[in-house]
Amino acid sequence: MKRITVPLLFIFLFLLESLFVDIIPPEVFNSGRVMVPRFLMAAIFFLTVYGNAKQGVIYGLIFGLLFDMVYTEILGVYLVLFPLLSYLFANVMRILQTNVVVVSAVSLIGIALLEVGVYEMNLLIHITNMDFSNFVSVRLFPTLVLNMAFLVLAAYPFKRQFEKFADFLRND
Amino acid sequence: MPQFFLNKRLIMLLVSIIILVALIGFSLRDREELTWPEQFVKDTTGWVQSLVSRPAHYIAGFFENLEDLQDTYDENKKLKKHLDDMAQLEAKVYSLQKENKELKDILDKKGSLQDYKPMQATVIARSPDRIWHEKIIINKGKSDGVKKNMAVMTSRGLIGKIKSTTPFTSTVQLMSGSDPTNRISAALQSDKQIYGTIDGYDEQKKLLLLKGLPFDSKIKKGQNVVTSGLGGVFPPNVPIGKVQKVEPGELGLNQTAYIKPDADFYDIQHVMVLKRLMPSPPAAAIGEGGL
Repeated sequence: MKRITVPLLFIFLFLLESLFVDIIPPEVFNSGRVMVPRFLMAAIFFLTVYGNAKQGVIYGLIFGLLFDMVYTEILGVYLVLFPLLSYLFANVMRILQTNVVVVSAVSLIGIALLEVGVYEMNLLIHITNMDFSNFVSVRLFPTLVLNMAFLVLAAYPFKRQFEKFADFLRND
Repeated sequence: MPQFFLNKRLIMLLVSIIILVALIGFSLRDREELTWPEQFVKDTTGWVQSLVSRPAHYIAGFFENLEDLQDTYDENKKLKKHLDDMAQLEAKVYSLQKENKELKDILDKKGSLQDYKPMQATVIARSPDRIWHEKIIINKGKSDGVKKNMAVMTSRGLIGKIKSTTPFTSTVQLMSGSDPTNRISAALQSDKQIYGTIDGYDEQKKLLLLKGLPFDSKIKKGQNVVTSGLGGVFPPNVPIGKVQKVEPGELGLNQTAYIKPDADFYDIQHVMVLKRLMPSPPAAAIGEGGL
């Protein structure tokens, strides 16, 4: 059972992101703004800190590829950004304290970096021609607010789950 | 120099950049079909998603129904008013249909590009990467006869076209996406049809942009916009929206109309894939980007 809880959690989050945008109508929040759930990225960040950094990067690679294949059909963007950011995150957290608040705050910065990275890449390959200031007000800030709310709810359960996972890996 | 090659991290970084560029280049090509690993992964995830999405939609639908109950009274009043007009309209449509059929019989003309067959499909997932990738995944695929570039609509109007298909699912690109290759040929309904292309979406005002209208054409607010059916596999006269306002184009050589879409791009559960009954010419004959 312990072996499959973490992969199951990630699959659940992968599906939850899609369900979230599918079911929650945008009028519930302020319309004209776009909130993008980044639950998967947040979970990967927590896994690199409380679980195992190497596992975090591997999960980033697998789910980045899955995300690209299923949701965007442009292979490469998330495949590179997920593992790259989790690698950077693991290195940053080596310097900082690993208490829940600090990890959540740095995760939020990581999510902002991911958003900007995805935007820049899409600009480069002409998927979009939105200008940066527009992007910040329409998409970046609302996204950060949503993910902050998610992190407040999920930070502690994530921490407990991944610490258990780390124990399990050590004993194995 | 040997030291450079010993730096493992640098090599990893370079290799990953090369992979990134190669993969993006590969997937940006105008692909007729997805590769088989992609199809396999999409079908597998599609199966799981359809298991999850059905109960989720059911629960969401329950709460929506509760909300709807609150304004049932007003709605009922309005609908009753519509119903009176309906009988009149129905009689008119019937007589027109009959007349049309008779005239066609006289001309001995069988079938028309207008004829299409709708196929019901259910949404099983939606791309979380909003604005850049406004896509939904539906539960009908190649095995049901869905093909690339087919028109997709809800009961209210056109929402987009099929981007890619796998054996059991297909991906619909919504008109609200920002991808500039996503264009749809449209026509303004008036005495003389005016043609343009739906190209772009204003995210903040939630209006579609209809570009390339002739500069001297007179366009009124509230005019209907439908698909033109020119080329490709789109049937004509599928409703898209209504004109909200008109502005001169970038260079003043044409006009751009802002269209309020009939369909809601967010609250989508059931869609129809429109299959044109008359065979369309092979893709090679239409050429690149033809719709």
